[in-house]
Amino acid sequence: MLGWFLRGLTSPVRTTAYPHSVDTSPGNTPGRPVNTLFTNADAANAVVAACPTQAISLQQLTAEVAAGRCVHCGVCSEGGMHWQKDYRWAVRVGRPGKLMSKAFKSSLHIRLVDAGSCDAVIQEIKQLSKPYYNMHRLGFFITPTPRHADVLLVTGPVTGHMRLALQKTYEAMPEPKWVVAVGGCAISGCVFGPSFVSAGGVADVLPVDVMVPGCPPPPLAILHALLLLTNREDELKPEALQEVMRGKS
Amino acid sequence: MSYPLMLVLAAQIVLLAGMVLCGLLSSKDARRVTAAFGGAAAALGLLAAALAISGRYPGVLGLWRLPILGQLRLSLDPVDGLFMLPLAISFLGAFWSSGDYLRRYEGQFDTRTLGVLFLALFGACLLILTADDVVSFLIAWRLMSGLATFPIILEHRHDENRRAAWLFLAMNEAGIIAVTVALFWMVALSGNHIGFNGLANGLKFVDAPLHWVLFLILFFGFSVKAGLVPMSSWLPTAHPVAPASISAILSGALLNFGIYGILRFDAIIFPAQMVGPGLVVMMVGAVSALIGILYASIEDDIKRMLAHSSIENMGIIAANIGMAMVFASTGLPVLAAIAYVVAIYHMFNHSSYKTLLFIGAGAIDQHAGTRDLNLLGGLLRRMPVLAALFLIGVLAISAIPPLNGFVTEWLTLQNILRSEQLASRASRVIFALCGTGLALTAALAVTCFAKVYAMGFLGMPRSVGAAEAHESGKSTRFAMVWLAIVCIALGLGPTLLIPMIDRAADGLTHRLATTALVPPFFTSPHGARGFSAGFMHDFHNIGAGVGRHIIPARGLVVLHQGGKSNPVVYAMSTFYLAIMLMGIILVTWILIRGLSRRNIRMAEPWAGGLRRLSSDMTYTATGFSNPVRVIFKSIFGHEQRENSRTAVEGHFRTAIQRTLDADYIVDRLVLKPIAKAARFAACLLAKIHALGVVNAYAAWLFLVLLALLLINRLW
Repeated sequence: MLGWFLRGLTSPVRTTAYPHSVDTSPGNTPGRPVNTLFTNADAANAVVAACPTQAISLQQLTAEVAAGRCVHCGVCSEGGMHWQKDYRWAVRVGRPGKLMSKAFKSSLHIRLVDAGSCDAVIQEIKQLSKPYYNMHRLGFFITPTPRHADVLLVTGPVTGHMRLALQKTYEAMPEPKWVVAVGGCAISGCVFGPSFVSAGGVADVLPVDVMVPGCPPPPLAILHALLLLTNREDELKPEALQEVMRGKS
Repeated sequence: MSYPLMLVLAAQIVLLAGMVLCGLLSSKDARRVTAAFGGAAAALGLLAAALAISGRYPGVLGLWRLPILGQLRLSLDPVDGLFMLPLAISFLGAFWSSGDYLRRYEGQFDTRTLGVLFLALFGACLLILTADDVVSFLIAWRLMSGLATFPIILEHRHDENRRAAWLFLAMNEAGIIAVTVALFWMVALSGNHIGFNGLANGLKFVDAPLHWVLFLILFFGFSVKAGLVPMSSWLPTAHPVAPASISAILSGALLNFGIYGILRFDAIIFPAQMVGPGLVVMMVGAVSALIGILYASIEDDIKRMLAHSSIENMGIIAANIGMAMVFASTGLPVLAAIAYVVAIYHMFNHSSYKTLLFIGAGAIDQHAGTRDLNLLGGLLRRMPVLAALFLIGVLAISAIPPLNGFVTEWLTLQNILRSEQLASRASRVIFALCGTGLALTAALAVTCFAKVYAMGFLGMPRSVGAAEAHESGKSTRFAMVWLAIVCIALGLGPTLLIPMIDRAADGLTHRLATTALVPPFFTSPHGARGFSAGFMHDFHNIGAGVGRHIIPARGLVVLHQGGKSNPVVYAMSTFYLAIMLMGIILVTWILIRGLSRRNIRMAEPWAGGLRRLSSDMTYTATGFSNPVRVIFKSIFGHEQRENSRTAVEGHFRTAIQRTLDADYIVDRLVLKPIAKAARFAACLLAKIHALGVVNAYAAWLFLVLLALLLINRLW
């Protein structure tokens, strides 16, 4: 009993201070390819053909990456694609005039719906409520009921079985509400794609406000998406941003 | 002959005319004739009751003169009027609704006979209340008892219905035989004087043991009719079996006669000079209340549940009477007066809401096809008017302010708290235990009726009958509206009712309850007898005088004061509460509708995103009451038996059957042991028929004759 108590007193704080300092834990982001200018067409074509999810397309000699289809397999980096170890992948889409009011800044209630995903994104989202990332200190909470929720976090390509449940969940949320599509599948269907059992992403069913690509996106990316949604992106320290841009991690 | 008696006579004539017409006309018209003539007679009875309560028209009607005993007399004194009021209210509602309800029997049974019996039953009930001497009382009682058995046995094709009617008749007969013995004993003690007013004279010098014996016989004899434990076995079997209009009467009107007997004989004619009888009554009342509501909580059949709930309410009335007797015998006349008033008030309340609920249950049975709560549901959408009126009954019986159940429940618990003014520690302990029982009863009553309303009316329909139910008929709705109005009036007007009951029950209360319970904030704002000017001033500052110039009453606040050692004042006003409640609801509604600028979006309720909701996913009534069943397991005594069928050398179970058996606790502890003892005694006595040999019988005759001669010699 005493040993446990003393051990607790002498242990350091394990929670990350992100976004108020840069998070440099090893392996906290897998990184992803960025648009690369190739010198010869063969190498570019090879990279396009090598991508297992057809995420790379060729614009003259520039290989452009569709972030919503990339699964971070790393095959293209062997073929010469430039890789970036960043996590600020979230993108705001749709409803340009609908900004979140200041009331939600530090008190956001999130309803999570798994619309038929492989569970990898769910595991990453779970880390957010655990001691290391601890999104509760930033004011983000998970609610079990859509009636109390402000944000609907959806993962998975929206299978046929979950379509009605997802729509009912969205209808049960009171205004104002936002939708965040997390993961490649939720954006474009990715490896599952539109098929006879699933739609091609959440945008086919609900109006999406923020998209986070990745397969799965690291917890930092999801946290960044929530900060983007609540207009708190500027909380990131400028020096931290610089370091990340330079690729130091 | 006084006006009230003339009105009762007129009512009897109307009933007789109705019976004759019923016999002459066809079945279809029989129900309308019953409803019309019965309703008219009940209205006349109501008027007679009102006139009798006012006490301004005393009068006696003398009938035949019997050889030794005296003259048979009829009269309607104010106490009779007090009992005739709930009788007439209840019968009016039941007759009115029977115009609709009897339709369901039209093909199967002869509704003319039912109509005739129903009208005759009301006549017998009126006769009991007008009886002013022992013999006519007993004759009228027997008439009522017999006439009440026939409607119970209406659906005679099922064995258990016949058994229920026989049990009803047998137990009531046992009760009235005991009462007859005690009453004629009292007649003998008072010098062969059968009139009620003469009985009291002969009993002044009765010593304690005889007092106890007479009291116990009378009390337990009348408690059979009142449905108090340990004599309540017949209530839950007989009341559900009868047609709903008759059940309404059995519960709402006939049970009051048991209370009438207890009050008239144990309290008025034969008041207790010892504390013991009052404590016995109180304990019987508290135990009845608890057992009644426990069984009501686990019942799934609406009518059986209402029957158990009647046991509970009668227990509360008996507990109040017991408290009054204890207070009267220990020299606290004000508290005794208050307790008597509360007992009578609760009787009014019970008659009104129990009749309402039984008529509602009959309508549910008729239009949704079943009485089982596990098969009902969603009736709020299909039968909205019935649901609204049933809700008023449910709120009233659960003692929710500002309805009538709350007034008497509050006053009952306040009476129990006054036990600190008693001298004897044993009495205080018994009061505390009974008070705990009554408080638990009040809480369980809310659970029980929440279950009834939720399972019956809310949620999804659990059977085809409930899904296709149609609204009840006009007469049923009107009858329920009448009873709902009575419930609301009794709830909002305690300050008008308490002085009325107090004045009418003068012999019991000596008019002490009004000054104690209803301070005259309207009529004399600056202090009155029992309340200092400073007290009145304080209360006026918090608004007790509001409405002074509009409402013709003494005041609108009911008070209950503690004694000298605990000078706390407890106040309650259902009228002000009702006004505040309506005001708050109105203001909230205006705020929500008026100030809400955003559009209101209508969407379906959140149900977990399920594709399809079925009634199998909702609670069953049995499941809802399971906590009560488990906690009070030892009282219910449920035994579970399991049968299973196996295959392949017992490796696979192909069928499982579970049966839950239970005997009613009163049967287990009282009836069955008595029956076993009687059978044992009979078996012992049967040994006389040793071999069927005539010589043995001759020997027995000789021995008995010898014994009688010896006794005659030695006495």
